[in-house]
Amino acid sequence: MIDDFGSADRRFVIRVILAAGFLILFARLFQLQYVNAEIYGKEAEENSIRNVPKVAIRGYVYDRKGKLLVDNRPSYTVVLTPVDFDKQYLPLLSSILSMPEEAIIDKIKLGRKYNAFIPTRIKRDISFAELSMLEEHKDKLYGVEIQMESKRSYPTSARGSHLFGYAKEISDAQLEKQKSDYQPGDIMGSTGIEAKYEQLLRGLKGFEFISQNAKGQIIGNFDNGKHDIPPIDGLDLHLAIDGDVQAMAESLLADKRGAVVAIDPRNGGIIALVSKPDYNLSLMSGTTTPEIWRSLNNDEGIPLYNRATLTRYPPGSTFKMLLALVALDKKIIDENWTITCSGSFRYGNKVFKCEHVHGRVNVVDAIHRSCNVFFYQLMLKVGLDDWSEMGKQFGFGKQTKIDITEENSGLMPDRNYYDRIHGKGKWTQGYLISLGIGQGEVGVTPLQMANYASMLANKGKFYQPHAVNTVVNKRTQRREPVKVEQRQIELSEHAWSLVREGMRRVVMEAGGTGRAARVPGIEVAGKTGTAQNPHGKSHAWFMGFAPYDNPKIAICVMIENVGYGGAFAAPIAGYCMEEFLYGEIIRNGKHPLPMEPNLPDEESVAVN
Amino acid sequence: MNSFFKEYFDRVIFFSVLSLAGIGLLSIYSATFDAYEGRDFFRQLMWVGVGFVSMMTMMLLPLRWLQRNALRIFFASLSLLLLVLVVGKRVYGSQSWLGFAGLGIQPSEFVKISTMLALASFLSQSDVKATDLKDLVKTSAIVALPIGLIMLQPDFGTAMTFLAMYIPVLYWAGASKFLIIIIIAPAFVAAASVFGTTPFLIVLILLGIGLYILRDENRFFATLVFGTNVVIGFFVQIVYNKLPLYQQKRISTFLDPNNDPLGAGYNVIQAKVAIGSGGLLGKGFMRGTQTQLSFIPKQWTDFIFCVPGEEFGLLGGIVVLGLFAVLLFHGVRLASIAKNKFGSLLAIGFTSLFTFHVFVNIGMSVGLMPVIGIPLPFLSYGGSSLVSYMMVAGLMMNVYANRKEY
Repeated sequence: MIDDFGSADRRFVIRVILAAGFLILFARLFQLQYVNAEIYGKEAEENSIRNVPKVAIRGYVYDRKGKLLVDNRPSYTVVLTPVDFDKQYLPLLSSILSMPEEAIIDKIKLGRKYNAFIPTRIKRDISFAELSMLEEHKDKLYGVEIQMESKRSYPTSARGSHLFGYAKEISDAQLEKQKSDYQPGDIMGSTGIEAKYEQLLRGLKGFEFISQNAKGQIIGNFDNGKHDIPPIDGLDLHLAIDGDVQAMAESLLADKRGAVVAIDPRNGGIIALVSKPDYNLSLMSGTTTPEIWRSLNNDEGIPLYNRATLTRYPPGSTFKMLLALVALDKKIIDENWTITCSGSFRYGNKVFKCEHVHGRVNVVDAIHRSCNVFFYQLMLKVGLDDWSEMGKQFGFGKQTKIDITEENSGLMPDRNYYDRIHGKGKWTQGYLISLGIGQGEVGVTPLQMANYASMLANKGKFYQPHAVNTVVNKRTQRREPVKVEQRQIELSEHAWSLVREGMRRVVMEAGGTGRAARVPGIEVAGKTGTAQNPHGKSHAWFMGFAPYDNPKIAICVMIENVGYGGAFAAPIAGYCMEEFLYGEIIRNGKHPLPMEPNLPDEESVAVN
Repeated sequence: MNSFFKEYFDRVIFFSVLSLAGIGLLSIYSATFDAYEGRDFFRQLMWVGVGFVSMMTMMLLPLRWLQRNALRIFFASLSLLLLVLVVGKRVYGSQSWLGFAGLGIQPSEFVKISTMLALASFLSQSDVKATDLKDLVKTSAIVALPIGLIMLQPDFGTAMTFLAMYIPVLYWAGASKFLIIIIIAPAFVAAASVFGTTPFLIVLILLGIGLYILRDENRFFATLVFGTNVVIGFFVQIVYNKLPLYQQKRISTFLDPNNDPLGAGYNVIQAKVAIGSGGLLGKGFMRGTQTQLSFIPKQWTDFIFCVPGEEFGLLGGIVVLGLFAVLLFHGVRLASIAKNKFGSLLAIGFTSLFTFHVFVNIGMSVGLMPVIGIPLPFLSYGGSSLVSYMMVAGLMMNVYANRKEY
């Protein structure tokens, strides 16, 4: 076997393989062209084969109680097979559909580029009048067909504009990227859940092959339907969202600019996610006219912008708990450490103000009554490094990886940041003081804030926030829970209990700024905050959780340009928690609309 | 003069290649005349001219010079491939074209030739043994380089043709059947396991029988190989089932185009109808209703076989198959009669390359093979592939001319 190069043996094997290959090809040709020539011959001479796409039903979306939030409604779409259409009837088609001829030609060209033998969409969601006109001129409009499709509808009062998002016709750029999966005119999730779960929601399109004679009459299924592929419907999504809380939060924010995010601290499920102003998703299903787009894009309230995940404001006093937790856990202070608040704090030649003269306060009092001086001093004791490390552990300064849409990572300043901005060694402790009360460079999103509230509620457990709980396949009955990232911050029980007690007093006891968030019969904990805004009135924050002993909901409310958190944000949080925990509003039996702030609007403390 | 010709000029290759190119031209003329007023035909005619000159040039190059410089040519051609990745144009989703003086050139077609030259040159060295592990690693490196670069484009079909060349060359050079099975088994096992449990079991049983017959080398090793393949099969199945639906669809469509009536499957059905409707004698030149009406999109590139199939029927199909059979069996004979290893390896490698293209391309047109976008040599529309295949034919003629030299 030393020199086996090109042996007769090997030559034989290769020849056998060659011969076998040719024999198989020959046999197949013989089968197609002689044995089956009848079938194919007739087929080819008289008929053409059309393939008719069968649209898959996009997945449904339910809330945590099983209520249907996103539904499908039938709609009629005009499709056209480029090779069949007789151009002389273009004006007719154009007048029936009241569409400029150029627009129709553009659509045909696009379809032709993809595959001239497959129907391409011309107009979606046509009216009944258009439909009957088309039927009337059917004989002339060869190649033009009506396809049943579905469009999204939203049966509940929950709008969920930024949460559900919309699906629209695939753009040319997207199509170029995903040519093998999509066809021109296909619907593709564009924002929110529709975009993130596009691959699950869309299902798989099916096809039917039909034979047509030269007059375009359908003769029947080609080859007895052997090649047909039934569509596979999209998967359903069951959300952690509570549709009622979502709708309530939306209505409470109706005339404001701001956001509400509520999270289930037991698992990170998003209970509600609202950004206002918003827009009506129904406008986006079917066809969206350029006028609608223009008005949405030019609206000064930027309704398309998701404030819940994209705005970045200083967290204000809500950050005091963070500082207190580090100080207590690292044993820098204990519950007996006190300072005396004289209404201001002088550092070097700068004066930092407090709201009131609080006198002697310990850590629980300082949270309860929101004493700034306590936290100015504490910040100097704790220092930047431990503080920013703790902030990062609570998820600030990075994206939460929520399953909805783009999000801002916020900013949690640290040593590197200051070195970069001011230069190494060129910044002093004085720069840090206002960080202690959540002002200055630090920036957080409402979503991060809700997550922070959730981690305070469950004592340090981080769950990746997720709107979708379970993906359900109706056909196979398979239910698959979404996988969620988790981690735990380890802090002393002592630190947790003092800080959480402070938060409880903020809402439950006299002198607290969050009393407006109370819910009848349930202990609520929380904290208000005011994000200073150099351009106008401050932004109001409230974050908190309930019930205190066994938290089931954590929430953040942010309202732009109104002033104090206690006055505007806290009551909204209270109503949302009440709705979630009781399933209805029980106080006075009254629905809270329209709502007036039940605390006087104090002058903003905005300092330069 | 006549005997000189007989001695040095390979008429079999010459005439079969020209006949095939002629059928290709007629087919392109027939398929595209209506829509493009013959523009594609004249373009292809020009390419046949360029190809003819290249073929003659390749026939006349000194074979020993090629053997000595094979590695240099190989690396030079690889740098062209790199260039494609940097500046290449995207056509049908893969970046494999170089714009060059207004003409598109696909370097990967030419890299097939240079890779084969390098492989043959290396394996023909007297101290190299195809059975030796060290040399095996080196040859696989020669093949892996272009495959890697082409997968970056990405062009899966072209990358596979390199393997289709490499494995028979190894076999011809003396590698054991056992080794060949080890190399090709995982691909079959993986594909079968995607299809389902029954095909997977059948392939496993076949593999078991094969390994049992050839176990003489090392029983333990044979068992190990079998076990590895079982694991691969299960692993592929598990991974496949975890993939999102649309990715599963992509894979199953690739393996069985009938699953995707919108894209590849549509072409396959139409191709079958076109060929089938040709009957025994065909509908006549320029009379194919399916090809005339362009029912088969892009049929003058990858689905070109439909045109002779429809217009000349079974007869046309047999002529095309027959011409290829003549060419390929002649290639095997050439590999046997060439006295020098370099020439012999070139002959077998190029024959395998053609074989793969012919079987996969025609197999695809008649619905027996996955839809892999590789051209039918000498017939498909496209300058780079035509010129490169005519160069290959020229090199085979060169081997014939030098067949008696050691």
